[in-house]
Amino acid sequence: MASIKNILISVNESETSLKAVRYVGEMSGCLAGLHVRLLHVAPEPPPYYYLEGNSLKDYVREKEAKAEEIFRAAVKILTDSGMPQERISTRTYIAERAEAISSAILKVQKEGNYGTVVVGKRGVSKAEEFLFGSISNAVAHNCASFTVWIVA
Amino acid sequence: MKFAALPEHIQEKALAHTVVQGMRRRPRVFVDTHDFTAIDYGDIIVVDGRYFLVIAYTREGRFGVDDQPKPWVPKVSDLASGETHIIKLVFHEQFEVSFGDYSIPCYRNPEKEARVLELVQGNPRFMQGYGVEDEAGNLVRILDLIRGWRLDKYIHRFEMGHEEYFETVVPGILREFLESIKAIMFIHSHGLRHGDIRRDHIFVEYDGTTFRWIDFDYDFYLPERPFALDVYELGSILMYLVGRGNYYPQHVQKDPAMGQKVLDKLTVDDFSLLAKNRIVNLKLLYPYIPRKLNDIFMHFAAGTPVFYDSAGELAEDLGSYL
Repeated sequence: MASIKNILISVNESETSLKAVRYVGEMSGCLAGLHVRLLHVAPEPPPYYYLEGNSLKDYVREKEAKAEEIFRAAVKILTDSGMPQERISTRTYIAERAEAISSAILKVQKEGNYGTVVVGKRGVSKAEEFLFGSISNAVAHNCASFTVWIVA
Repeated sequence: MKFAALPEHIQEKALAHTVVQGMRRRPRVFVDTHDFTAIDYGDIIVVDGRYFLVIAYTREGRFGVDDQPKPWVPKVSDLASGETHIIKLVFHEQFEVSFGDYSIPCYRNPEKEARVLELVQGNPRFMQGYGVEDEAGNLVRILDLIRGWRLDKYIHRFEMGHEEYFETVVPGILREFLESIKAIMFIHSHGLRHGDIRRDHIFVEYDGTTFRWIDFDYDFYLPERPFALDVYELGSILMYLVGRGNYYPQHVQKDPAMGQKVLDKLTVDDFSLLAKNRIVNLKLLYPYIPRKLNDIFMHFAAGTPVFYDSAGELAEDLGSYL
């Protein structure tokens, strides 16, 4: 059984994602011994990205730079809450062809045996959810043997 | 390449062709197809060691709009075999498709079409052909011609009232359409989308039995729901087949058998999730449609508590109904 104190937080540039980080920061004051992995999943590049003369290497570089900014803000929130920096790690993941962001999160959870996955939730309409998806719903729907915290 | 540089027997066949005989010039020969607008009727495209004479252009059959010729999709005659094929030349196009309040980035993706063609080689549920690069590296797709009806035209061949159509024709059509959905499941399972699922992108062979998907070069970018649009459009075709058309309030209003009494029963939840004025609760229009089938339609309604996440879920429910 994965330890619930081994936490995977999915982060992106949205305010709800930072809200989720803040929540974990606050919880870290109540729960000693948390280990946090900040995960930023970038979707597969749109095919027209290549037509514009870019390469996958360009895309990865661009996304990693973006992820660094997100991680910097998230780490600050966590350390300001009192979490020791050495308990925080980061990972950027570029989704494979036709791999949904939620599937990538679940894959990383499985690989790292994280006991808790934390995701932010933004309000979406049904049509929006059908077309663009809801990562929090998809993670909650597919979770097994681990806990999901959804921060709205 | 000059016409005179073609093998002699190909030159002879080209000159003997009625298309060339009706021209006042010699065919030009193209080994680099990147500027498809330069290639004209009566010209020859050389690719994969084959010689294709352009004999016509295919047309885009958008609903309600006059068919537009597609210069990047010539109809050709293989000068060696005499067989007719469709050739697709590289045409990159990017645009937004609107669904209600939302826009989805769409584009033409020749590479994806070539991958699908390779994957479905020998599969009777798909058009057949292959992708090959011309001398300049442009990905040309050489397609076999399908002799048949467009599905949306096919279902209007049965001249009978809707109830009789539903009782006698729909069961067979749905059994065949279920196989079409399974075919889409197959390409999805390989991470590929159809990308442009429409009721005129299934051809029914003249024997009336096999439904074949055509046209795989469109694609869309929905990274979290990579197959959502394919699934939605499968649902749209299903409802079109059962209803023998799409239904909007103005049509219901005009139909003497329906009219205001049916309109009064409709709520916002009976309309499509994405096409806000299209009615999906067809049972309100045709009460003899069984609940189990109508429940499938309602997964595509604005009021649905649950929608289909995959073509497999839709196939399972349709299979269970049948």
